[in-house]
Amino acid sequence: MRFGLHLLLRQKKAVAGLAIVVALCLMAILAPVLAPSDPGARVGRSHQPPTAEHYFGTTKMGRDVYAQFVWGARPSLAVGFATGLAITALGTVIGLISGYFGGRVDATLDLATNAVLVIPNIPLLILLASFAGTVGPLAIMTIIALTSWPWGARMTRAQTLALRNREFVTAARMVGEPSWRIIFVEILPNLVPLIGINVVGSIIYAIVAQTTLEYLGFGDPLNVTWGTMLYNAQNSSAIIVGAWWDIGAPALGIALVGLGLALLNFTFDEIANPQLRSGPALSRWMWLTRLRRRELEAAR
Amino acid sequence: MRIPLRRLGVYFAAFLFAIVVNFTLPRLMPGSPVDSMIAQLGPRATPAAIEAIKARFGAVQEPVWLQFVDYIKGLATFDLGVSVKYYPQTVTQVLARSAGWTALLVTCAILFSLCIGVSLGAVAAWRRGGRFDAFVSPFSVVLIAIPPVIIALATLFTFGVTLRWFPVGYAYNPDLDPGFNFTFLGSVFWHAIMPVLTLSPYMIGEFQTTMRSSMISVLGEDYVTMGRAKGLSETAVMFSYAARNAMLPVLTNLALMLGAVFGGSIVTEIVFNYPGLGLTLFTASVARDYPVIQGQLLLMTLATLGANLLVDIVYGVVDPRIGEQRA
Repeated sequence: MRFGLHLLLRQKKAVAGLAIVVALCLMAILAPVLAPSDPGARVGRSHQPPTAEHYFGTTKMGRDVYAQFVWGARPSLAVGFATGLAITALGTVIGLISGYFGGRVDATLDLATNAVLVIPNIPLLILLASFAGTVGPLAIMTIIALTSWPWGARMTRAQTLALRNREFVTAARMVGEPSWRIIFVEILPNLVPLIGINVVGSIIYAIVAQTTLEYLGFGDPLNVTWGTMLYNAQNSSAIIVGAWWDIGAPALGIALVGLGLALLNFTFDEIANPQLRSGPALSRWMWLTRLRRRELEAAR
Repeated sequence: MRIPLRRLGVYFAAFLFAIVVNFTLPRLMPGSPVDSMIAQLGPRATPAAIEAIKARFGAVQEPVWLQFVDYIKGLATFDLGVSVKYYPQTVTQVLARSAGWTALLVTCAILFSLCIGVSLGAVAAWRRGGRFDAFVSPFSVVLIAIPPVIIALATLFTFGVTLRWFPVGYAYNPDLDPGFNFTFLGSVFWHAIMPVLTLSPYMIGEFQTTMRSSMISVLGEDYVTMGRAKGLSETAVMFSYAARNAMLPVLTNLALMLGAVFGGSIVTEIVFNYPGLGLTLFTASVARDYPVIQGQLLLMTLATLGANLLVDIVYGVVDPRIGEQRA
């Protein structure tokens, strides 16, 4: 299956999604240019509404919300993307091994996959995080990755099972290729669309989980991220006193990443699974059939 | 109707996993959590309480496997230990107090989103490629991607604080006496609206997406064409022929989603100060009340497994082919 960039760029939704994600990443990278001030510095009075001086107002502690928003994008996006990649890597490898080797290996791994899948993730995350105490970005990443690989593993296993007995795999086995080579060189490339969906879905999940953990206060409160911004705003009862900007800025950031990634994933899904398509091609076809039906009726 | 043995094996493995995590984590932790918990108890730290905590968290001179056997024995008699924050209440008492509220929220949210999500998915698939589909389907995917925290905070701010339509905390009006009368139930209903509406968007998105793709494949089946050929009305074919069968994958998805729904309910309860399991878990995690946090994981795992089992049973009833094939 062809899975080039041009396929993506033809879809309006994908372009919009990609634009949002790229813009947010650029903002994170260019943080020193966009917000030269220190996000931890006190610059004004408590909970001031947005002004020309402080675009997004100030927090309870008098810190600039705009600077925090821009700088907070860095750890939030970095942890989200890295965790998403880690989840996908773990899930793909486990799914490939399970699906390719079959037999007892498959039985064990599949049991583990399904078992971890039915354990409620967030309570497990909270348990792990509360035993670990206040956790840094790396610990958050590890905890999330270790508990959420089963989705990807299940999808990959099913796909690998379908590929395992195809001619090209049998041929490779006949030639005497080692298993690792068959798995990673022969089978893996066929799973690229699936992995694409898996990566984007995992990043979405990772961002949701990270936000939840940080909002509950498990993040490092000194590290400015969108999640800890929410936590601090909640703790200073920003909503009750009407300081909507304090909660709104990080919420907007997180919602925008979610929106962008969701639009991308929707398009990935349509490309990988043409049956689900609803894009321009399909509406043109619908329009043509409607036209033909009308002509037929007119003729009658 | 029979439930395949392999499914039961999976549930058993999951439950065992949760127990083992609960048992090993405090024992692996550097700097025993026992001391911090005894410090938490303060003046309430009677010798009996200290003893109970030590036994549960492995600060005793006993081989690990014996500790594990004792631990399992305790679980078998619903002994989850004592709460540190609410001592001398036991974990079971603390959890029992709040479990009902969470069950209420989650059940209402599931039923509500099932109705909305499935209908949206069915209609989107029926008019696939139309304007409705082009808007609703991507929107559902977006709903899945937005963390429940954000939705909860936005709802609280808009409808609770700014418009003041709904009460902003607690499960019922504290001035009322709990009882089975209209005023009290009305108050419970009124307080549950915002949390339920917050929990729903994620599920509506999931249900819509699953329903749409499963409905699209069902629409290609011969019996749907047959229904049309018989001259049945559009709605009759759509709901009694296609949607009924397309519902099955939605049920599977519902069982798998439950963990995420519980996660969402934790956050929602915290934002709306709703006295369910989530709020209990939050206060417990702030107070480092490990026994309650552990009991919570076990309870939520059990609830998810129970729901999965229920879905397996319903599945067998709704689709008789499944039982035959798998058994």
